[in-house]
Amino acid sequence: MNIVGKKVVRLDGYEKVTGKAIYGDDIQLKNMLYMAQKYTDIPCGKIKKIDISKAEKLEGVVKIALHKDVIGQDKIGPIRQDQFVICKDKVYYSGDVVAIVSAISKNIANLAANMIEVEYEAGKGVFDITESAKDETLVRPEYETNVVVHYPLRKGDVEKGFAECDQVIEREYKTGFHEHGYIETESLVAVPDPTCKGVKVYGSVQNPHTTRREVAKFLGLRLNQVDVRCSNLGGSFGGKDDTVNAVACRVSMLAMLTGKPHKISLSREESMKESYKRHPYLMKYKVGFNNDGKIKSMKVDILADSGAYSAQSFFVTWRSVVQATGPYEIDNVSTDIRAVYTNNTYTAAYRGFGSPQIIFAQESLMDEIGELCGLSPLEIRAKNGYSQGSVTASGQILDSHKVSLSEVIKKATDDIKYSEKIAKYKKFNAENDRYKKGVGLACSFRGCALGAEGTDATSAIVSVQQDGSGYVWTGLNENGQGLRTTFAQVATECLGMKYEDMHFLEPSTAAINDGGPTVASRGTIMGGNAVLNAANKIKQRIFDANKDKLGVDSLDDTTWGNGEIIGKNKISFKDACTTAYFAGYNLSAYGWFKAPEVSWEEETGQGNAYFTYVYGCQVADITVDTHTGKITVNKISAAHDVGKAINHLGLEGQIYGGVTQGMGYGVLEHYNIQNGVVKSKNFDEYIIPTIKDIKEISPIIVENPDAIGPYGGKSIGEPTLELGAACIANALNNATKKRSYEIPLTLEKVYLGKQLVKPERASEAHKGSKDVKDIISNVTMLNPKSLSEACQMLTSNKNSQLIAGGTDVVIELRCKQSPTTLVNIDQLPELKGIAENGKTVVIGANQKINEVKENSIVQKHFPALVEAISTIGAKQTRMRGSLAGNIANASPSADSLPPLVAYGAKVLLVSQNGERTVDVDKFIVGGYKTDIKEGEIIKSIILPIPEKNYEYSYFQLGRRGAVNITRLSLLTMCAKNSSGILESVIISCGALFVKPCRLQKIEELLINQKLDSALIDKAENLLADLIEEQIGGRWSSEYKKPVFINLFKDSLEKFI
Amino acid sequence: MIINFTVNNTKYTLDVDESKRLLDVLREDLGLTGTKEGCAVGECGACTVIMDGDAVHSCLIMAGQLEGRNIETVENLEQNATLSKLQESFLKHGAVQCGFCTPGMLMSAKALLDKVPNPTLAQIEEALEGNACRCTGYKPIVDAIQNVGKV
Repeated sequence: MNIVGKKVVRLDGYEKVTGKAIYGDDIQLKNMLYMAQKYTDIPCGKIKKIDISKAEKLEGVVKIALHKDVIGQDKIGPIRQDQFVICKDKVYYSGDVVAIVSAISKNIANLAANMIEVEYEAGKGVFDITESAKDETLVRPEYETNVVVHYPLRKGDVEKGFAECDQVIEREYKTGFHEHGYIETESLVAVPDPTCKGVKVYGSVQNPHTTRREVAKFLGLRLNQVDVRCSNLGGSFGGKDDTVNAVACRVSMLAMLTGKPHKISLSREESMKESYKRHPYLMKYKVGFNNDGKIKSMKVDILADSGAYSAQSFFVTWRSVVQATGPYEIDNVSTDIRAVYTNNTYTAAYRGFGSPQIIFAQESLMDEIGELCGLSPLEIRAKNGYSQGSVTASGQILDSHKVSLSEVIKKATDDIKYSEKIAKYKKFNAENDRYKKGVGLACSFRGCALGAEGTDATSAIVSVQQDGSGYVWTGLNENGQGLRTTFAQVATECLGMKYEDMHFLEPSTAAINDGGPTVASRGTIMGGNAVLNAANKIKQRIFDANKDKLGVDSLDDTTWGNGEIIGKNKISFKDACTTAYFAGYNLSAYGWFKAPEVSWEEETGQGNAYFTYVYGCQVADITVDTHTGKITVNKISAAHDVGKAINHLGLEGQIYGGVTQGMGYGVLEHYNIQNGVVKSKNFDEYIIPTIKDIKEISPIIVENPDAIGPYGGKSIGEPTLELGAACIANALNNATKKRSYEIPLTLEKVYLGKQLVKPERASEAHKGSKDVKDIISNVTMLNPKSLSEACQMLTSNKNSQLIAGGTDVVIELRCKQSPTTLVNIDQLPELKGIAENGKTVVIGANQKINEVKENSIVQKHFPALVEAISTIGAKQTRMRGSLAGNIANASPSADSLPPLVAYGAKVLLVSQNGERTVDVDKFIVGGYKTDIKEGEIIKSIILPIPEKNYEYSYFQLGRRGAVNITRLSLLTMCAKNSSGILESVIISCGALFVKPCRLQKIEELLINQKLDSALIDKAENLLADLIEEQIGGRWSSEYKKPVFINLFKDSLEKFI
Repeated sequence: MIINFTVNNTKYTLDVDESKRLLDVLREDLGLTGTKEGCAVGECGACTVIMDGDAVHSCLIMAGQLEGRNIETVENLEQNATLSKLQESFLKHGAVQCGFCTPGMLMSAKALLDKVPNPTLAQIEEALEGNACRCTGYKPIVDAIQNVGKV
């Protein structure tokens, strides 16, 4: 093969590295108006009144539309149409939209949305799936039950199976919501189209034909009156479907009502609130097995949170029912899965689609069964795992493709040196108290494409020009995964063209027939076949036109490659195309591929669910800090059977990305929603993996070409994500001998065995909090030339505040509605400089954190300060944020404060009334509160050079590898004399109490003593009392108290 | 207010809305849409540009703070229809998938390489810790930066 199987640079790479690629928000049209969405202020209840009178009067507002203005069908949804695009008389979740605003600017639209007043009658709401399943309070009374869908699967006789087993165990597993975290939020543009009295839609659309269908329904139009075309998608992962459809409906409605183009781009906060997530699952597994490890019987009962709408629950939970018992041959299976309505954020497709949850459960269970039988994770899987000809839970015989489960397990475990590490870490863990290491594996089988969940067919057009160049376009869409590239490879491989001669066109829905959605990892296997189908038609025609020149009678006697066609004679592809063109041949062809037959019995859950499957295994190597609960992922080896690698580069990229998302799902990503109120508002509170969160990923590509896939290729997108959480959870158990039955494995989950979040009282949730847009408006900027002018401006302007680097101030501006005057001191020379001044070092207030960090004077005298400020925000934050700003913001978790307090730093304040100096410790009076007086500016920070020779120990705890809001920090500085007596002890803490401070009582206990374990125990008791006294009643103290004590002891032990 | 500043080697005198951020000025006033907004709170790095040599969040700099500043955006990397080595390396190593974080990634990487032509892994990780990518798992991006010299 010439192109397939090679490392190919992506077709759309150039536009993306030059900033020229157009995404939804980049579209700018003449006379374009902007839409803002007024969200509900409460998660659940009746709408009593919507008052738009104030908002309407705002200058620049063009139109405000409500439910009464809806032209067509008011509800949308893929199966059950249960989502009101604009709420009618009830709200069902925090992301519901009650009104939409059209205005001449984005800011005016948002300001107007803020001015819409809605009166509600708050509902009780259902936020717990177990409660919902009881059907005592109906979320959607019109459907008579909260159960959206129920899939049963019955194979054999589970009860008889259990009776025959040596051991029967029951376990319960829980997974949370999971946000897609695409970096581009939802962004759409709608343009009235007078040619068909319809509308054109552009933007971040994953499935344009689905969007077209929903928009047409909502606007009461025929399908041919709506034309949808995707822009480049800034990530989707299954996420730019249902929510995008709803937003597209609304923005199209405004375009139709006003006759003007409209745009909307959601803010991150809006996206977090409105967009659907991965379903949380509650999974009960009962399993019977013999002492030799052979599993005989398994009963699975799953509840899935569908949230306020049914959306894709019908499809997501179906995949779960097929795969719930994993790649294991079990004679007796009974599975039931139900998705239920709640008033939580609704749930739908997310890469993996109902598999990461069940894989976490079943792979945890497999390890545990192994332990009970004295078998290793490898042995228990070898005993029960699928092999060629195995029969699945749905009764499907796996004989039409290579069942490569054992191969992927072997390759992944060999790569990570699994058995060697098991032994090595056992020894390590026996010798180490705080840090424990572990390895864990997870494996899966996964049905490719849609399977029996729906009609599975797709479209492609290949068009070759007379000069030998070509186009390909398809009913499936580029989501960022590399589909354009893969399809171009398939087409050019078939036609023997040069890869660079093929161009991928992003079609509008009018240009190609509905090829189904770009989901279910069906791009390559389905779309690739459609492309191949089209290309082969053209190939035959080109051959027919050039038969005489080639000197052979049959296409089979030719080879096509490198831009040439070789028969008896050789001709260039270009010349062959020219000949065919002038001979009147049609060099465009429509390709179609319909998936092979599959089957499903609804009542029994039996049938050939998918026409082929892929197999994968991932193994994690982790380190656990048992004193904090923090997991560090050292390596993940990921072996995936893809049939045939079409583009090695893209394939490896899929593995790297999927593994990283899987790690986020398993460890970091906790979508905090309480009584329907979304607390994870932005990427500061919902944390996704950074570049520092997985040390190594090893992609292992396994190839067993599939009989049906194009060139043998199958799937890769979703399998890469579904295993990470499961293998990390098993590694955690291997490391700590403590099994977690719930993900994500947050600090608190690992340390305490439970998630810990700030509780929201139900009564508060009912009241809700007004939906206010995060926008910046009403800012006046003043640029003083000197410090004295700055002081004067600050004093003489009402509502004025300082801005330097802006890394805190600009974020706060987004939440502020009132007029603000900013006095910009960013570049004032009087505030610059770092100087050693006798016994002190003076740091100018405008010194950026990075400048302080890299300054040799500071490095020499205040190494703990350098270490502590190195973890403030991201590099970009440290390039802009100033040390003085970190002090002035006075966050309880400000990283500069524990060392500044420890070193006895002072701030020099200046105002029109003169100067004053205050200890940093006294300057900070509480959380986000300082002693700064009106009109005062921090001029410099004065640090006394330590007289003693201190040794120090600093520890900062964050949830992930970088860009953390510090969870706890501790600085210990000790100076000992020659006989080991502590002559000086300074201990300061961050993120523990309302403000960073020194622990003076502890210091007093330790001073002039010699450290030993008895003294440390004494100090520990005192510290425990101190913490109890100050934060004992707070929700977070359950975690912070014991963990801080651990850190404290670890720190002191270093000085013994 | 009127500001005088330089973007991609071109001097501008602009009358800007004081409620705008550098990001808005670039995208709306100058039509330089290569720089993206992902979170608006300095958490994702999609808006990263280079200001006076440093990689910074353009979502956290107000328009009124731009007087005399020198800004470089992703649009400046390709010169005379030739991609920079960094861009070539990103393509070659598969450092781009959806491409939305790419402009910010490139600018963080360029700010680093301008100061440290042969960075260590730790320096690369530090420079890019504030640039979130949901597609690539970061590895291809690290490879691309480590191998710029070999393009």
